[in-house]
Amino acid sequence: MRRTTIAHLSGIAVLMAVAAVPWHAAAQAQESENPFTSRIDVRMGRQSYQAQCSTCHGINATGNPEVGGPDLSTGQFQRADGDPGLFRVIRDGIDGTAMIGLGADATEQSVWQIVTFLRSLAPAGVDTGGSAAAGRALFAGESDCARCHMVNGDGGRLGPDLSFVGDRRTPAELASDLVDPDAEVLPRWWTITATGPGGETVEGLRMSEDTFTYRIMDADENLRAFSKYGDWSYERTRASTMPGYAATLTVQERTDIVAYLYSLRRDR
Amino acid sequence: MTLPRNSPARLRTTLAAAAALATTAAAPLQAQSPAEGAPMFTPVTWERLVDAADEPHNWLMYNGTLDSQRFSRLDHIDRSNVADLELKWAHHIPRLDRAETTPLVVDGVMFITESPSNVVAVDAATGRPFWRYDHPLPDDLRICCGRNNRGVAILDELLFMSTLDAHLVAIDARTGSLVWNREVADHRGGYSKTAAPLVVKDRVVTGIAGGEFGIRGFLDAYDARTGELEWRTYTIPGPDHPDNLTWAGDSWRTGGSPTWITGSYDPELNLVYWGTGNPGPDWNGEVRPGDNLYSDSVLALDGDTGEMSWYFQFTPHDIHDWDAIQIPVLADIELAGEPRQAMLWANRNGFYYTLDRATGEFLLGEAFAHQTWAEGLDSNGRPIRRPNTSPSRTGTLVAPIAGGATNWWSPAYSPRTGLLYVNAFDGEALFFIRDEEYVEGDTYLGGGTETPLPIDHYHSAIRAIDPATGDVRWEFPMTPRSRAGVLATAGDLVFSASVDGYFYALDAESGAPLWQISLGGRVNASPMSYAVGGRQFVTMTIGNTLYTFGLDE
Repeated sequence: MRRTTIAHLSGIAVLMAVAAVPWHAAAQAQESENPFTSRIDVRMGRQSYQAQCSTCHGINATGNPEVGGPDLSTGQFQRADGDPGLFRVIRDGIDGTAMIGLGADATEQSVWQIVTFLRSLAPAGVDTGGSAAAGRALFAGESDCARCHMVNGDGGRLGPDLSFVGDRRTPAELASDLVDPDAEVLPRWWTITATGPGGETVEGLRMSEDTFTYRIMDADENLRAFSKYGDWSYERTRASTMPGYAATLTVQERTDIVAYLYSLRRDR
Repeated sequence: MTLPRNSPARLRTTLAAAAALATTAAAPLQAQSPAEGAPMFTPVTWERLVDAADEPHNWLMYNGTLDSQRFSRLDHIDRSNVADLELKWAHHIPRLDRAETTPLVVDGVMFITESPSNVVAVDAATGRPFWRYDHPLPDDLRICCGRNNRGVAILDELLFMSTLDAHLVAIDARTGSLVWNREVADHRGGYSKTAAPLVVKDRVVTGIAGGEFGIRGFLDAYDARTGELEWRTYTIPGPDHPDNLTWAGDSWRTGGSPTWITGSYDPELNLVYWGTGNPGPDWNGEVRPGDNLYSDSVLALDGDTGEMSWYFQFTPHDIHDWDAIQIPVLADIELAGEPRQAMLWANRNGFYYTLDRATGEFLLGEAFAHQTWAEGLDSNGRPIRRPNTSPSRTGTLVAPIAGGATNWWSPAYSPRTGLLYVNAFDGEALFFIRDEEYVEGDTYLGGGTETPLPIDHYHSAIRAIDPATGDVRWEFPMTPRSRAGVLATAGDLVFSASVDGYFYALDAESGAPLWQISLGGRVNASPMSYAVGGRQFVTMTIGNTLYTFGLDE
């Protein structure tokens, strides 16, 4: 009963919006790619979402069964294909449903920011085009990734644990990591070379550093700690200790490893 | 309790201990044991505040003295013995948030402010409480940056404290009883108060926060006894003033320019000095063409009327959120062979300035940290902007970051070394512009920033600046950056802290580290020093604990 009433009322709202603004004219101004995708846009999009959309779709966009607003947090949208489609639905609504849209008065920025906010709730599904099973075999076998990288407790400690790497890196980023590991090295994986008073050196991965001290893991996985103002001097290297695999792996092999790595995620 | 001492650091204390620096003699401090049960607190008259430097065992206002040098004339702790500092007591702050307090000490009693808007009085020798005042707060606060409070001011037997709901309260210093409670502004409009007030004669001068909420900033003076408003000076002039034309249309009504840190006062010139914050919205300057006076400025106001004597704007038409919310440090220095009544100012925009504090004249300015937005300063101190440094839709990389090359954390000036000690950061950020409607009580930013690389990529340091030249004499590097203020002492020490939880002491002449202790928590406060019974202490808040250190005697 309640549902009928809402559909009836919003149907009127849709009619009024359509009458006020020619749909095509408004659509022409829209860009095909979302230009507002930074973290600021996620924040502003959340604000707009909460003001404009949360009554029907829930404060966390997980839907509101009471009024029939569907879950928007899954990355899957029944009535919209891609970001431009999502933009149109948010601005123009869906004819004949309770979804009335923000209308043509809404700025492009604010509509795109809601798109960005919704996309931030769940990454879009990606087909890596590779075989995760083949990638897994390569990872543990021939290409020897497991010597330095741990996955679910198996492997080495001289590179990042990759158990959930699919949650934090996209397939494109993973592919780039394989061929150009120096492009983006987190400070945790910089190398520190410590030199003692007698000229002896210890090299290791920079586990942490502060104003007065630093702690490293050497090649034998020993934990070591040093003082910056003692007898030892030190040097930082920001390059990665990982080799690039552009020459040693084929494109297909790299694609398979990416497929494997991207499959490594927490259970949702 | 004895804490581990750092032996290499102690070796460094053999360096040039007590070199012949003396330009300012350290005030004598009688070493005496406090008599058991002797009366402690005494009323703080205006005359005592003017001469606060003459009673270095007390810390009578936020930055120690009216000139805000944050310099302690105590010299019992010096370069020869600082490595022997030990923890004496600690005070835990029950509400967990950013602890930004600088406590006051009056004749053996310490007044500590806590998150969100509370104050506790403790025995400064033991840290044990006499009383506490918990200020009730509404649920709908409008605050940008944590529930914090930076400290109280005192006159006679009254403490004055800002509260997050934009009130000013007066509290009895002996009991913690509320004496009066004034609404400075309606918090629902985006106003809040976090800074320690400044007592000037018989008035309480106090600022306002809300630069991220499209407020119209001001500075107020209240009668200390009654809490009646005596004067209000808006930091954005109204339409009856020609400087209002530096704001397009009605943009002045939501132009920000808050006053959220404590100012300084020169009794001879009878001038109150106060910094102003960013114009609003922070990053979208397109809605407010013009210089946007008096945002990002220092104002010199008549101590009796609040009337403006002069202003100096550091960043005209700011679009990077570079508040001039720094402490105006007043010092008499020699510049090009001439004695000058100077004001020393390391600004969030990356430039250090020496101004004439009588006239506002720009004397010199140099970059003290990495900056990419200006070619330099012209002969009037106005920045010469580089093209393509405005926030953009896709992000424009600019140094310093929005948080600045330095920020509100207090610098310190030592008249013995003639150096200004500043916490500096060489960062960079992507600045974005966005359209944003003003809605009363909501944030009004017009964009935002992102830091492109992890924080460890960037350099941070305590820098010692020569105010006669603008040169950086030395620096002490920190990893990563810091959010701590600085204290200088007559023991030729500089105390500060790093964001990773170290409290440390440097040689004020060379910058060499002499002592440090890892206390583990994040740092958002400034150190201060005092004495009880002839024994000097140094106090610093790290994490949610206030620690007091002294020598074993």
